Amino acid sequence: MKSIVIGVESTAHTFSASVVSSDGEILSNPKSVYKAPPGGGIHPFEASQNHLAAAPSVLSEALRSSGAGLSDLSAVAYAMGPGLGPCLRVGAVAARTLAASIGVPLVPVNHAVGHIELGCLLTGAKDPVVLLVSGGHTMIIAYSGLRWRILGESLDLTLGQLLDQFGRHHGLASPCGRAIEESASRSNNYLRLPYSVKGNDVSFSGLLTTSKSLLDAGASFEDVAYSLQETSFSMVAEVTERALAFTGKKEVMIVGGVAANKRLSQMMSAMAERHAAKVLAVPLEYSGDCGAQIAWTGVLAHGSGIEVPVAESTVRQSWRLDVVDIPWRG
Amino acid sequence: MTSPGEAEGVPGRLLYRGAEADVVLGDWQGLPAVFKVRKPLAYRLASLDQEIRRQRTVHEAEMICHAKRAGVTTPFLYHLDLQASTMVMEYIGGEMLRDLASHMAEKEVEGPFFKFGEGVARLHAAGMMHGDLTTANVVSREESLVFLDFGLAHRTSRLEDYAVDLRLIKETLVGAHPGISRAALDAFFRGYEAKAGTPRFRRVHSQLRNIERRGRYARVA
Repeated sequence: MKSIVIGVESTAHTFSASVVSSDGEILSNPKSVYKAPPGGGIHPFEASQNHLAAAPSVLSEALRSSGAGLSDLSAVAYAMGPGLGPCLRVGAVAARTLAASIGVPLVPVNHAVGHIELGCLLTGAKDPVVLLVSGGHTMIIAYSGLRWRILGESLDLTLGQLLDQFGRHHGLASPCGRAIEESASRSNNYLRLPYSVKGNDVSFSGLLTTSKSLLDAGASFEDVAYSLQETSFSMVAEVTERALAFTGKKEVMIVGGVAANKRLSQMMSAMAERHAAKVLAVPLEYSGDCGAQIAWTGVLAHGSGIEVPVAESTVRQSWRLDVVDIPWRG
Repeated sequence: MTSPGEAEGVPGRLLYRGAEADVVLGDWQGLPAVFKVRKPLAYRLASLDQEIRRQRTVHEAEMICHAKRAGVTTPFLYHLDLQASTMVMEYIGGEMLRDLASHMAEKEVEGPFFKFGEGVARLHAAGMMHGDLTTANVVSREESLVFLDFGLAHRTSRLEDYAVDLRLIKETLVGAHPGISRAALDAFFRGYEAKAGTPRFRRVHSQLRNIERRGRYARVA
């Protein structure tokens, strides 16, 4: 029988709730996004205030536009982590309250697993090498032996942080990805920047420092943005290619906020072509943080009997995806 | 961006399409030989791409020689063509540790992974890191392990770099061989310790823990 799950996402700048059915239909996915001031990053407390204010309306909108009533819900899923503590707690309180008041199980979901599982649902990916690129993650991931395994990752900054911190240095407001992409598209003057691939891992900190210094020394924002994109995306494409060659898999799926960047997906396509692999891109609306990733993974987890008693439904700011069992793929 | 003659010039059988190079089994002066061709990567900007390929080809040749002097088994180098970013070297045959490991029982890992650890300790003692120590880059031939692909190798005396090598091995074992990873890693570390000595091993190992703690969302143990 078809069941219906509501999922609550609140790990960082986005508060979102979504109603998803067990056959994979996304019935609603409203969100409220905290905007950081220009030149600044996410202030966790201020973001949590945004979420607190937005929670009631986002939750009721998620239910109203889905056409489902409270009595139709068979579980409430929430992003238990990883993320910013104050933000996570808002989602956890909302989910806990809802689950306890209507008497359905509470299902904890790992936010990163959520990105991947929603991506698989929407792209039809069966057994992909996943590139998860966002403000919180830069990881190359593949499924093996009951878990999503990390084959490579950033040793310091994430790709999203690299772009945001570079953009903010120039006075832009986070998230800066789109503005950087647009500026970069106006240049083809490549300035040499540090290219740092260490095994299957990448390191962006030297790249950020050099890029900022170039700006300070008077280089044009367009040129540095272009060079920064070319260098960092090449590094990410190289380690993804290594994972693809190593595992011999035939699908590459890009998820996370930075997946929206066209130059990145263009590079990934050219890379995958060499290995006769397919590139699967998650539709823009669902590649960034959203409730649907939590609700759909909640459907899968609930189906495998995963739930948490309200008394133990804490949040986990540091919760790596490779410690999460994935019984529904077993 | 791609000059057609550059990549297409090697006759032979494609053994392996790696992330950055094609490995072709061909003929060199009547000997079976492996041609490692770093082809232009279309997704990378041409100037950046060319520099990376040239640099890695020169580097790799130097590093192979250095590793050999350190007592680590590597292929013999026959010829270097920098124009085409191509290395010609001895054909090894044998079986990749990755493929061996995929059908190993937990008690069979001791021998090969202990040797693997010894070899890596030798490299580090000679002042270099391999930079790409996945199980696809180590081949078992008769009784010995042959180390391949020194494209990301460096001369270094930093503890951090040695620990980065160990980190990739750990990442590969846990990521790609979860069934035997614990036993394999254990044998690897013991091999490393046997060759490097306990104090040295402990220093590198504790640096590995430091790196892991720096990772995103790592649980601080």
